[in-house]
Amino acid sequence: MDAGLSTLVVHLLDGDSEAALAEARRVRASQPDGQRLLVEGLEAAMDGMSAKCTTEQFNLLEIMLTGRAAMAVAREAFPEGAIPGTRGTVVIATPQGDVHDLGKNITRMVLTTKGFRVVDCGKDCPVADMVDAAAREQAFAVLASGLISPVVPLVRQLRGLLRERGLSNVAVVAGGAALKQCTAEALNVDYVARDAFDCVHFLEGLPR
Amino acid sequence: MTGLERILAAVHFTPSDRVPVIPQIFGHAARIAGVPLNRYLTDATVLAQCQLAALERYRHDAVFALLDVNVETEALGSRLRFPKDGYPSVEHFAIEHPAAVAELEIPDPGKAGRMPVLLEAARLLRQRLEDRVLVAGCVLGPMTLACQLLGAERALFAAVDEPEAFERLLDFAADVAVRFGQAQLEAGAHLCVVFDPSASPAVVPPALFRELLAPRLRRLCDALKRKGSPVTWLHIAGPVEPILPLYPDCRVDIANIDYCVDAKRARAAVPRLCLDGNIRSLAFVDSEPEDIVAACLRVLDGAGPGFILSSGCEIPLEARPECVQALVDAAKERSSQL
Repeated sequence: MDAGLSTLVVHLLDGDSEAALAEARRVRASQPDGQRLLVEGLEAAMDGMSAKCTTEQFNLLEIMLTGRAAMAVAREAFPEGAIPGTRGTVVIATPQGDVHDLGKNITRMVLTTKGFRVVDCGKDCPVADMVDAAAREQAFAVLASGLISPVVPLVRQLRGLLRERGLSNVAVVAGGAALKQCTAEALNVDYVARDAFDCVHFLEGLPR
Repeated sequence: MTGLERILAAVHFTPSDRVPVIPQIFGHAARIAGVPLNRYLTDATVLAQCQLAALERYRHDAVFALLDVNVETEALGSRLRFPKDGYPSVEHFAIEHPAAVAELEIPDPGKAGRMPVLLEAARLLRQRLEDRVLVAGCVLGPMTLACQLLGAERALFAAVDEPEAFERLLDFAADVAVRFGQAQLEAGAHLCVVFDPSASPAVVPPALFRELLAPRLRRLCDALKRKGSPVTWLHIAGPVEPILPLYPDCRVDIANIDYCVDAKRARAAVPRLCLDGNIRSLAFVDSEPEDIVAACLRVLDGAGPGFILSSGCEIPLEARPECVQALVDAAKERSSQL
């Protein structure tokens, strides 16, 4: 990898937004290809964070700092709007009754910097709205993040509601402190992700 | 032995007639009594009656004068939204940046928000139960109150971006906990659970816990002990193994461990610290009673003495009562085998 991009990855992993932005500007001065910055800079940093995740040295604050730095670089590299969502569209929300959206926001950030187009339906979101968004945005997956147990019965409804709309091919993924205590079978979903990176790995493996 | 004596025996690693058992029953007490949660969370008499009814039903070893995680932040000016039959959430946070903590004053527990409800519930429960079972109150730990005052995302970024202001916020949060906790002890609680889920290694790095949170937790626990709390209880959810060895220095006597922590490894990390846990909370919703009993017996085998059988976190509102009963029965069954 290019030395500048390697340095960028280090700054991103340190969560140092200022240093990452400065390095990204230097890289872009000689290589204006935003796609390379995305793949070899932002995605590589997220892969580095993901690898750290598997060694059980995982905490939300470090991911938030890396995610914030990555988003700052992305906003400057792609001033026309969002990072190109070349890996397809997903819908994400915290289901109705749950207002804890920190995990959802972190997952959105990680997915965005990994090249997914993320439609965020927010927190305290009716599951019917998540299904509407999946239909409207032609999403290939719906992600439900839940910290508290009352959302469990709502998550169980998702697959049936998608089927009623002719969207049986849309994958359903659950995550968050409460939902990850359950099996995929108990939640009637395709996958229960341990964390944001595990969610990315699952989505990357889906046929599209 | 009484429930309180059993718990104190576990803390001091002395013999007991059976393993103490504390399903962490909070709002579930209202649900099984058929009481809307918003009444339970705003009326001390209702809360006490529901806790007593749950105790009568399950025969466990502790009751909780505990409302929800928003009591302190509401008392400090956050605006809450109360669903009819769920826990409230913060609609508008008390402060927008950490430096604004300078404008806040330590609330008077006798007057501010729902703090008096909790104090009255502790008084009623202690009056009724005396020392037969543990009467536990609750204060938020400094990290969790910081998140509840500012919003979790802003609080976490502030820890890095504005460290001095963030430390002042933590100091203030610890002061609130000391004042509220001491008032709970005066009202009749035997101890206050220090509930600090945002201090979990799942949320902040263990180094931040060691440098910023542990000193403030120690100050809080010392203050509670000075006020007469016989023991202190720290409740942090998630993978606490990396920070458990710091607990004794924080003056913690009971450490909650969640379902994701292996009881045997936790015991190895803190051989002389009383642990409580760690049956998966959602198992009380989605498992069968015999599964709960089997899980309890596995945990008890690994944890050894100095252990309180409990759920890893709160018993969910919608828990199956027969599963909660299975937890309590497992403690008794195990003791009959000893």
